[in-house]
Amino acid sequence: MTETELQVLAEIRRIAADELEWKGAVEPTHDLLKDLQLDSLGLTVLAVGLENRFRIRLSEEDAQEVRTVEDLARLVAQRAAASGAPAPRTPEVRP
Amino acid sequence: MHSSAPGQDTSPFIRAVGRALPPHYATQEQLIAAFRELWARKHFNLERLEDLHRAVQVGGRHLALPIEAYPPLTTFQQRNDAWIREATALSEVVVRQALDKAELAPSDVDHVFFATVTGIATPSIEARVANRVRFREDFKRTPLFGLGCVAGAAGLARAADYLRAFPTHTALVIATELCSLTLQREDLSIPNIIASGLFGDGAACAVLRGAAAPGAKGPRVVASRSVFYPETERVMGWDVVDSGFKVVLSAKVPNLVKDHIRGNVDGFLAEHGLGRKDVRHWVAHTGGPKVLKAFEEALELEASTLERSWASLREVGNLSSASVLFVLGETLEDAGARPGDWGVMMAMGPGFCAEMVLLRW
Repeated sequence: MTETELQVLAEIRRIAADELEWKGAVEPTHDLLKDLQLDSLGLTVLAVGLENRFRIRLSEEDAQEVRTVEDLARLVAQRAAASGAPAPRTPEVRP
Repeated sequence: MHSSAPGQDTSPFIRAVGRALPPHYATQEQLIAAFRELWARKHFNLERLEDLHRAVQVGGRHLALPIEAYPPLTTFQQRNDAWIREATALSEVVVRQALDKAELAPSDVDHVFFATVTGIATPSIEARVANRVRFREDFKRTPLFGLGCVAGAAGLARAADYLRAFPTHTALVIATELCSLTLQREDLSIPNIIASGLFGDGAACAVLRGAAAPGAKGPRVVASRSVFYPETERVMGWDVVDSGFKVVLSAKVPNLVKDHIRGNVDGFLAEHGLGRKDVRHWVAHTGGPKVLKAFEEALELEASTLERSWASLREVGNLSSASVLFVLGETLEDAGARPGDWGVMMAMGPGFCAEMVLLRW
C-alpha cells in the first residue's frame, strides 16, 4: 500500500472504532459488508468521514467498484491525488 | 370462528383521538438551509448531507418554536425548560380536543397515561395539564418515558389493560413529542443529521373507555402483544450527555422489521383465529420510508394500505410516539370503517421492541 493508502487505512480504523462501535480488527482484505458488517448507515458514516479527512467526494457509482477495505483505501488515495489537496500527514485532533 | 380472548365484550373501546401540531412550520428546504452552515463546520460534502435530509421523504416539520429561537438554546436546561412549557401547552390542546370529540369532560377521566421521550419533567406533564383542565383529585397518573416511538401503541395497549380491570373507567393516552427541542446542534454525526431530517413535533391524545362505560362506543381494543428483541439496545435510543439527549440510531431498524414483523403479526393474529387477509385497517407507525417499506414488504401489503402513514410522514415527519396515534385518529375519522372490520395498530421503538394492537369496529 502507498503512504496515502496507509493513511486512509488508519482513518478507516479510527472511524470504525470511534464512530461505528466496531470492536474487531480492520484489515485491508476485509470485506466492508461481510467482515465489518457495515449497513447503509455505517457505509455513509465511513464515506463521510473519509470525505472530510481527505477533502474528496465519493459517489454512489464509486460504491460499485469497492468491496474491501483495500479497494476503498485505493479509491480514496486516487481521489485525493486527483483533487490536488495534500492528504493530511497527522490525524486531526477531534474533541 | 374468530376467538377474541380476553373477550370482546370486556374489550375497552377507543372513543376519539385528538391531534395537534405546533403553529411554527418549516419546509425541509428551509431546514436544510438553516443547517447548512452548521454542517459546514465539520463536513466537506454538504450535498451528501442534503441528500440524506431529502431521502427521508419529509416535506416539512412543525416546530415547537420559531426556527430562529433554537440557536440561542445552548444548554440542556434551556431546551428542557422550553420543552416543559411547550409540551404542557400542546398537551392541554389535545386533551381538550380529544374530550370534546368524545363528548366527555375532564371530570370523567380516571387515569392518564402520558408518553414522551423528548423531555423530562417532575412533576410530569399530565400533572401540569391537570392544573389547567381540572381532572378530578383522584385521577391516576402513569407517565411513560423511554419507550420512544413505540409508546403510542404501547401506551394505548397498557391503558386497555387497565380498563379491563376497571371496565367503567375512562383513560387518556397522551403522547407529546417535541423532537426539535432534543436536537444537539453540536453533534454533527450522521445519525444526528438523519434524525434532524426525520423527526417533527406534535401531540395526540386517545380517549379510551372500559366496556361497561356508558355512552357512545368506538372500535374495541380486542388484544395487544408486546415483542422484545434481545440484545438490540444500541439499535435506537438516547445517550444522555451533558447537553441532553444524543441520538442512537442504527440502520438495522428496517432489517429488524423485515426479519421479525411478519412472524410477530401472523402469530398474534393466529391467536385470534385471524390472518393478514382478515385485516382491513393497518395503522402503522411512520418510522421512516425504509421502515414503512419494510412493513409493506414483510406483510405483503398493497401499495395503498399504508397510505395514511406515508402521507403523515410526508406532511409532518416522524412524531415519535404521537405518530401512530395521528394515523389512528385519521383512520377512526376517515377510513369508512364498518362494524366487524378488523384493524392492526403496530409500532416499534427502543429496546428494540414492537407493540401490536388488535382493533375491531
